[in-house]
Amino acid sequence: MSNQPQILVIDDEHQILRAMRTILTARQFRVTTASSGEEGLALAAVNPPDAIILDLSLPDMDGVTVCQRLREWTHIPIIVLSVRDSEQDKVRALDAGADDYLTKPFGIDELLARLRVALRHAASQSQVDKKSVINAGPLQIDLAQHLVLRNEEEVKLTATEFKLLAYLASNAGRVLTHQSILSHVWDPADADHVEYLRVFVRQLRKKLEDDPEQPLFILNEPGIGYRFITDD
Amino acid sequence: MRKFWIFLANERHILPFLYATLTTAAITILLFFVRANVETATVALFYLFPVGISAAIWGFWPGIVAALVSFFSFNYYFLPPYGTLTVHQSQDILALIVFLVLATSISQLIGRMKDNLNTANARENETTRLYELSLILAKQHRESDIINSLAQHILKTFQADRVEILVDTESSNTVVRLPEHPLPEVELSPQPTLLISLQGARHLLGEIRLWRIGKSINPLEERLLRTSASQGVLALERARLTASESRARILDESDRMKSSLLSSVSHELRTPLATIKASVTSLLSEDVPWDSEARKELLSAVDEETDHLNQLVGNLLNMSRIEAGGLQLKSRWNVLTDIAAGAIKRARIASHGHRFELNIPEEFPLIFVDDVLMEQVFNNLLSNSLKYAPANSVIEIKARHQDEQTVWVQVNNQGPAVSEDDLVKIFDKFHRVTAADQITGVGLGLSICKGIVEAHHGHIWAENLEQGFAIRFSLPIHAGGEAPRIPNQ
Repeated sequence: MSNQPQILVIDDEHQILRAMRTILTARQFRVTTASSGEEGLALAAVNPPDAIILDLSLPDMDGVTVCQRLREWTHIPIIVLSVRDSEQDKVRALDAGADDYLTKPFGIDELLARLRVALRHAASQSQVDKKSVINAGPLQIDLAQHLVLRNEEEVKLTATEFKLLAYLASNAGRVLTHQSILSHVWDPADADHVEYLRVFVRQLRKKLEDDPEQPLFILNEPGIGYRFITDD
Repeated sequence: MRKFWIFLANERHILPFLYATLTTAAITILLFFVRANVETATVALFYLFPVGISAAIWGFWPGIVAALVSFFSFNYYFLPPYGTLTVHQSQDILALIVFLVLATSISQLIGRMKDNLNTANARENETTRLYELSLILAKQHRESDIINSLAQHILKTFQADRVEILVDTESSNTVVRLPEHPLPEVELSPQPTLLISLQGARHLLGEIRLWRIGKSINPLEERLLRTSASQGVLALERARLTASESRARILDESDRMKSSLLSSVSHELRTPLATIKASVTSLLSEDVPWDSEARKELLSAVDEETDHLNQLVGNLLNMSRIEAGGLQLKSRWNVLTDIAAGAIKRARIASHGHRFELNIPEEFPLIFVDDVLMEQVFNNLLSNSLKYAPANSVIEIKARHQDEQTVWVQVNNQGPAVSEDDLVKIFDKFHRVTAADQITGVGLGLSICKGIVEAHHGHIWAENLEQGFAIRFSLPIHAGGEAPRIPNQ
């Protein structure tokens, strides 16, 4: 057994599987492939991978259902692939437990970045001592002490602002849906009030970003949610 | 026999005879008082009055009745011996016979004249009715309107109690029943009084059913009804012909649209594919050792062209959704700056030293839009700007409050001015300001922008600026109707 992470790719397009196998193998991943939902679920159960890349449009079942069935027994990170204009499907998949998404066609750098974040996040979930200080450019966010520094200077945040920033930063690199942020930072009953989020994100950006109009840390994911970007 | 009683029961039939009898009686009474001073021949002449009047006013048969009544009255009251129907003098018998022949002939002559007049009147009436009908039908173009007008006309002309017109169309049957609210006390037999089929040139179109209580339909009326029916048939066939012609025209147009789309799209698809194929096969061939610079150049071309293809496919998909009316907005409260900034970030990759400026005031309100589609609008507008504006020029996105409910947004560049004519036409599908060879693109971008903005209940238009060109659109802020709920700090 090697230490190289194993990736399961579930997609019904033969050419995608072929490209993925070649590209990921060259990047020192071990790759298994499945061309249907059932096959993917069976493979994941027999030989649990470190991460799953899942196409949302499969011939035999809805990709969202595959997510749900996987989440019944495992926390293996799942990255879903889908075409543009299907934001609703992406949100459903993310809410069903997928960790991230990529829109076809995508650059391989993007895929590798998502994979790295997903694998790291999965690793930190299993560790007892989670990282309590998060660095992003000039920002230093101390989750334990409720302290935010920008260029070594303390940034005054309201309680809600900090709660929002803390949730985004502790999921750094991953996309978070509007609904999940709203129900986590506010209340599940407020999950539809995207306007709260808009107002508070604008305030946070004003306090944290050099140019709030071209944010570097809190990024928009149109139709989906937000993503916090850190250095690594 | 029963028919006869029914005939008699109708006062319209019995009254003329009554009037004829009464007129004769009146003359008799008048003459009776002057009997002593008047000669028999004069009395006979007087008696021609009621006969003539009855025949002239009420027709031939009442005239005959008047003649008979006159004959008997003349004999009874004025020929001695009075009070009997017997006649003594032979010259009186001759007078009676002459009178009867004369009276009958007069009533016959006048009656015939009157009948002729009636017929002429009826003909004229028929012609007028048909003319009216043809005028009404000529104005109607829709099948249902034609059927309705025809039914109304028949109901009025024939004073029918009920008219039903059934017409089979390709897809369904149309039934028109008049009057719409029949009187409850009028009971109709299941069998119509008259049934006339609407026979078209090639097949049966339907039928007209008419009910009329009490008065049977005479041959003249039946002929009028048949003529009306054939007018209706003509109008219906004309309407069908027009409809199928316009359907054919629409199909033709959409066919032309599709082939224009296909030729335009296949050209647009092949151009990037050609680049990709050429680059990749070059890299695959082992004849030439590519240095890393050349390799990178070829691969960048492939990368750019795939993005180009992806954008094209996205636009086609959006266009077909807009066309099919299937553009579903997933609107929520959004920050316009975020959407515009996202589009600028994307456009920057494809730019050639263009400078992007985002000019949206900080206090700009949240707007209720579908952010994914709205970003598509900016993507298309920016990509157009990149195509037409000179390199190293400024492309600006600017937004302002218009009033309490509306904002306007504009994307302006330093590209060339557009002719007045084109300012409107550029939003049409496949419309291109410049010749197709010079600038790539299918000409779908702006019509997609229009579709998306209009789906948001906004307006979009183009303007020439003092320096450059702008596309502007207005959007309602509260398209959802509700103001955003802003939480406490």
